[in-house]
Amino acid sequence: MGMRFKISRRQNPRRLHSGLVLLAAVGLSLVICALLLEQQGKPSLRGLMLLFQGAFGSGWALQDSLIKAVPIFLCSLGVAIAFRLQIWNIGAEGQYALGALGASWVALHFPDLPWFVLQPAMLVAATVCGGLWGLLPAVLKLRMRANEIIITLMLNYIAIFLLDYLVYGPWKDPSSFGFPMTRMFSQNAVVAKIGAGDLHWGILLCLVIGMLVWIFLGFTRLGYEIRACGENVQAARYARMPYAALVLLVMAASGALAGWAGFLEASASLNRLEPSIMAGYGYTAIVVAWLARLNPLFIGLAAFLLAGLRVGVEQLQLELQIPASFGQIMEGLILMTVLGGSFFVTYQIRLLKKE
Amino acid sequence: MSPDSEIIRLQGISKSFGPIHANRHIDLRIHAGRIKAILGENGAGKSTLMAILSGLLQPDRGRIYVAGRPVRFSSTRQALNMGVGMVYQHFKLVDAMSVAENLFLSARQGVWLSPGKMVAATHRLAARYKLEVDPTARVADLSMGERQRIEILKLLKLQSRVLIFDEPTAVLTPLESQQLFKALKEMRRQGKAIVFISHKLDEVMEIADEIAILRRGRIVGRLDAAAVASKAELARLMVGREILLNVEKTPCESKQIVLKVERLSGGGLGDVSLQIRQGEILALVGVAGNGQKVLAETLCGLRPPAAGHVRILGASWKRFYANPASSDTLSYIPEDRQRLATCLGLNMVDNFLLTTRLRFCRGIWLKREQAQTSTRHLVKTFGIQPDNIALPVVQLSGGNLQKLVLAREFYRRPRLIIAEQPTQGLDISATEEIWDLLLKARERAGILLITSDLGEALSLADHLAVMFSGRIVGAFAADDAQNIASIGALMAGIQPAAGENSVRRES
Repeated sequence: MGMRFKISRRQNPRRLHSGLVLLAAVGLSLVICALLLEQQGKPSLRGLMLLFQGAFGSGWALQDSLIKAVPIFLCSLGVAIAFRLQIWNIGAEGQYALGALGASWVALHFPDLPWFVLQPAMLVAATVCGGLWGLLPAVLKLRMRANEIIITLMLNYIAIFLLDYLVYGPWKDPSSFGFPMTRMFSQNAVVAKIGAGDLHWGILLCLVIGMLVWIFLGFTRLGYEIRACGENVQAARYARMPYAALVLLVMAASGALAGWAGFLEASASLNRLEPSIMAGYGYTAIVVAWLARLNPLFIGLAAFLLAGLRVGVEQLQLELQIPASFGQIMEGLILMTVLGGSFFVTYQIRLLKKE
Repeated sequence: MSPDSEIIRLQGISKSFGPIHANRHIDLRIHAGRIKAILGENGAGKSTLMAILSGLLQPDRGRIYVAGRPVRFSSTRQALNMGVGMVYQHFKLVDAMSVAENLFLSARQGVWLSPGKMVAATHRLAARYKLEVDPTARVADLSMGERQRIEILKLLKLQSRVLIFDEPTAVLTPLESQQLFKALKEMRRQGKAIVFISHKLDEVMEIADEIAILRRGRIVGRLDAAAVASKAELARLMVGREILLNVEKTPCESKQIVLKVERLSGGGLGDVSLQIRQGEILALVGVAGNGQKVLAETLCGLRPPAAGHVRILGASWKRFYANPASSDTLSYIPEDRQRLATCLGLNMVDNFLLTTRLRFCRGIWLKREQAQTSTRHLVKTFGIQPDNIALPVVQLSGGNLQKLVLAREFYRRPRLIIAEQPTQGLDISATEEIWDLLLKARERAGILLITSDLGEALSLADHLAVMFSGRIVGAFAADDAQNIASIGALMAGIQPAAGENSVRRES
């Protein structure tokens, strides 16, 4: 009764400490999930086991999780670059859609080009379309002080409707019996599988670009300027950093990376363009970027884990008849507990005895 | 006025922040129906004292009595409940809401609010204290003066008996200031106690009943406003006959002109002309808010000159700032070292790189290893504590942060240095170190020292210029035997007697 709390900022946040907080947060979200399962009358322990097995328990499961991690990773990498500058790009979803559109347009119009010409052309188209879709809110922000959160979010809907329009209309496969989808891409437009498995070469692209972004952010002048600007815009202005140029750069890069995700998903996973390509990767990417504290290497890990969650939930759905949206609930829970946990990393709470 | 109209008594209030004593043994009485001015320079401890009075800070020692009974304010809410409220320099209003809504936001009365009643109540309150403002207007559409009136009304709504004003005219136009004074007098007539913090002598003379002068954390004078003979007397008390700290100033040969400003105007400046040679320190003294900020920002390339000419190292302003290599020879040491000069969340190396990054580039790459070596070296030579370069600089004390900024800027070997209040808020030893550094830097650079600390100006400068309301109102050589009172008067905007030229050259 006579207790009081005192909350104060920690003098030296420790790495080990923040790791423990992260684990505790994830653990807490799992406990809440278990409670939710129980509440639906499902066996909670078995549910969590199934989830884990479905995601990481077998070679097939791992492969599935890796494949799903590709678009999440690319979108998240882009989002993280923008977040470093404190530009809140919520539009990875739309930039991803535009990337898929650009790549598909090339694939559908030049199906007979050899693969080593066609696929790079698709990549370039995805870069340009996604990049421009990212640049648009950046220009609006700089020119008209429009809030980038709102603009990028709204542009998502426009992008999705545009995609719907094309696959329901002009690009619809005449022989699809009315289903909204384009023709199958030619073999030349499909990113090849690695060996006999299901993994495609897009994974390699992810590894390379992940390393490049990591190097860019950590070891180049621009990477440094992005971080300094994100930390304190006024100080950046004082130090004559080109803030406007940096905003354009990060938004273009952010959009381009999401565009790549769209390209790989259309080409390697679906082999065509159809509405189901919009699976919410762009939003999961935001969760991933935060979980990974905007660090490209951790983003790889977090993208794999959340992709695993998606795959695992499918298993849960099959075996226990849990609704698919349970996966989204878990995603949200993890984000909430981890963000909530970060409070305990920056602050310490002490109990005081009343005098 | 009855003798026991005392509302608040402060007794022996002391407060320190680390080694800095912001307030020492302060006694203060505040009476109903009186306007008390607290006069002092920047960093004299005014804000700390008022923060203690309004419950924002708790004193280390000493007591506060309200109506004769000892109290402890552990929050501003508690102070408000006791009838003590503060009008802050930066208003705390919700821009998107109407005046009446803002007023009732802090009142927290009941669950239901009737818009009509809110507006009517606002009207009544405003009329009672002659603080006219449209209750339905949106705060975002209002002028600074009108916003301030809402802040005052907020306190009156809570039936505050003591209203504290922190530099209330800093954001007002002269006309708005006059309206504020009228309202203050009306509040006094109705028995409110007013505490008025300022460093503007005119205002204090005009409005105050009694004046307490604060210097270096102590009250050094208590005056009845009616008994004050002249502004000059107040100025002398405020600035003080400082014992000049022991500064070894070797004479420095004046050489090439590094800065020439001719008739610079606009943004509040009027016809500012000055020049600095390499090896010279020109101290621009004046009370803060008289155009120094605009001048500094113009010289440092953050805003273009509206009218007049600026030549830096022989190049026009435009050409100087068009070329990154040339603008790299100017260093700006801003007053706001926490928000402008550093990124508090980044470590020492990253902060070192802030303005030196172009020197550590090879192509697109940043040579971080070399920057680390240089930072480590600077931390050692400048004695920055703690000496761990991986720490985020938010953990450095004010003095050490300032040393880091100076170390970084001097590393660039600038030819022109603009230093703005470089020792504000620092303790004596840090101040002396910074002064030494500035004196050493002048061997290869010209320095414009913008300060409101006359002692600092007299200790360091070769020449002094006094700035008042955007103009240079006086210029002296440092060995000119001008007495301090004359500069103090100029700082307060008092022109020397007729016939006396404001620019003196005789010795």
